[in-house]
Amino acid sequence: MMRYEVKKVFSRTSSKIAVLVLFLVMGVTCFFALDISYVDEEGNTQKGLDAVSKLKAAQKEWAGELDEEKISQVIAENRRIRTSPEALAQDITQNEIAYSRGQGIKEIRELLNCAYAKGFREYDYYRADSLTEEMAADFYKNRTALLKEWLEGEAKDQFSDKEKQYLIERYESLKTPFYYDYMAGWVQLFEFAPTIVMISMLILCYLVSGVFSNEFAWKSDAVFFSSEYGRNRAVLAKIKAGLCIVTAVYFAIFFVYTGIMLLYLGADGWNLQVQSSMAGWKYFYHITNLKKYLVIGAGGYIGCLFLSFLSMFVSARTKSTVMAMIAPVMVLFLPSFVGNIKSPVVNKILGLLPDQLLQAGNALNFFNLYSIGGKIVGEIPVIIVLYAVLTAALLPALYRTYQKAV
Amino acid sequence: MELKMSNLTKKFRDMTAVRNVSYTMTAGVYGLLGINGAGKTTLMRMLCTLLKPTGGSITWDGEDIFEMDGEYRKILGYLPQDFGYYPDFTVYDYLMYIASIKGVRPAAARQQIKLLLDQVGMKKAAKRKMKKLSGGMKRRVGIAQAMLGDPKILILDEPTAGLDPNERIRFRNLISELAGERLVLFSTHIVSDIEYIANEILLMQGGEIKASGTAEELLSAMPEEVWSLEVEKKEIERYMRNYKVSNVKTIPGGAVLRLISSEKPSSRAVREEATLEDLFLDYFGERAGENDDEI
Repeated sequence: MMRYEVKKVFSRTSSKIAVLVLFLVMGVTCFFALDISYVDEEGNTQKGLDAVSKLKAAQKEWAGELDEEKISQVIAENRRIRTSPEALAQDITQNEIAYSRGQGIKEIRELLNCAYAKGFREYDYYRADSLTEEMAADFYKNRTALLKEWLEGEAKDQFSDKEKQYLIERYESLKTPFYYDYMAGWVQLFEFAPTIVMISMLILCYLVSGVFSNEFAWKSDAVFFSSEYGRNRAVLAKIKAGLCIVTAVYFAIFFVYTGIMLLYLGADGWNLQVQSSMAGWKYFYHITNLKKYLVIGAGGYIGCLFLSFLSMFVSARTKSTVMAMIAPVMVLFLPSFVGNIKSPVVNKILGLLPDQLLQAGNALNFFNLYSIGGKIVGEIPVIIVLYAVLTAALLPALYRTYQKAV
Repeated sequence: MELKMSNLTKKFRDMTAVRNVSYTMTAGVYGLLGINGAGKTTLMRMLCTLLKPTGGSITWDGEDIFEMDGEYRKILGYLPQDFGYYPDFTVYDYLMYIASIKGVRPAAARQQIKLLLDQVGMKKAAKRKMKKLSGGMKRRVGIAQAMLGDPKILILDEPTAGLDPNERIRFRNLISELAGERLVLFSTHIVSDIEYIANEILLMQGGEIKASGTAEELLSAMPEEVWSLEVEKKEIERYMRNYKVSNVKTIPGGAVLRLISSEKPSSRAVREEATLEDLFLDYFGERAGENDDEI
């Protein structure tokens, strides 16, 4: 039964085109995500696999613990490069030659910009250039100091004392020094993952939106409901087919995307703390790149599953495929309507919307905290559990709605 | 084997589609005859558990069919008037799917489908997509799906609607062939369909069963008589206005009218043997079928 339900979906030409579009978008995304360049000693920009291996080699020269000594070396090296005649020249090629020498420490330099910023939410690309080796000792201390300063100043009304304490404890308990290594594969994978998850969600909702309503559109409902299993097992088969389609298509696209990215750029750095890259510097979650990848994958899956089942629920309830397609998009656009309201309560509510799951990598950066049973918890575990429960709760509702359809 | 309707009523807001219908059916072919809007489809949809009655009950061998749930649907085959299908499925896949939701095991389904496709003359079209079939072919697949699982009850809603005369004859013969020991209820507003295959005829009007019985019983109980009368051209309109006219045959200078009347319409009128068409006209009037809103 379930096999035929899946076949109903994929026998439509529009469904085949939708899946093709999904893979095409993924291909285009990969094309941009893999656009890594390396500047050689003569200032020429290189692209492709050769550029990736050269960049990897340059960054691996600096691999190791980011302790005070290493930070001090990076500060010195950066100053040497930035004050070299090539860097100060008016000629772009000369500047490129100078840039080529700093590619190995490029990511650490970004961490310096974050650690020594004037404020928690400030960023100055040239901040690293004004540092001295003596300042290296403050590298990790500054991370927590900037947070404290922000919590006591700009964000003082955004958090309760307990929440502030929680964030500070998270920052202070992070194991340092970080280990640094080449990890462009993960950085690029994370950056473009929301595009993949979002487009997957839209295509998946399109695919499953007609699972229930098409019986009415095709006028096959009378035969369906008058059959022995029309009000029980056949309904269950539809739900299973929806689950099967969402799971298979989502993981197919996600794993193909992961495979392309990591095969091309390398999986080095899978076990590094996310805080050892600029994107994860402010995270209060103590996770590695691999764990972040799993959070993005699981979050995206639960988000796609929830919105697809919401679409199927609307499909069963309204008997309209169009309504079923619109409903998840409306839910996704909801934050755009209320996004301008700046309020801690609104932020907490927005943090619980399913769009956060589709961009779980970005959501890790948000300081949305919730108090559950007197314990402070970050947004990510809350929404993953919440939507897993809501999706599970949708299943019997969906079953009952269609079972009783007339 | 007894399908019993007791005081069966279905209301849609302020409109009563089926009103206090009580009738018992056993094995045999039952023809439900009525104009469009008589309540035939509503009655059939209730018999297929697609609509819940507002009042009354339907029982199968004494058990309420809605309480029997899947057990009742297991013995039911239904061909709706507006037969829908999955356009991109092949005929074979479509039937395999229907077999699966009817609880027929795949091995048995394959055998049944092979036999049924042969019976309905669709063997060569098994691999064709449903959307590529002609209207008649779709109906044949429709009856094949209704027959899957070897149902004890076969309900066919206007199975011959929209078919050309050849297809209709072929379809009528097919229904007779498939009837066997089943209870077959089929609805139509085409009198000739009933005439040939129904053992028992139910005349439905305004949501009620006005009369029932074999064709002979119904005709003998017809309250009025049938007359033929040759009239001049100028008299035609007067007769048409004052009598139920079941046929007008034009002849040079006038016409031969077939009239239904309890009294002899003219001293020249000759009594004729009534047919089901006369009966239909007598019950439903000349405007029968003009309102195509199916209920």
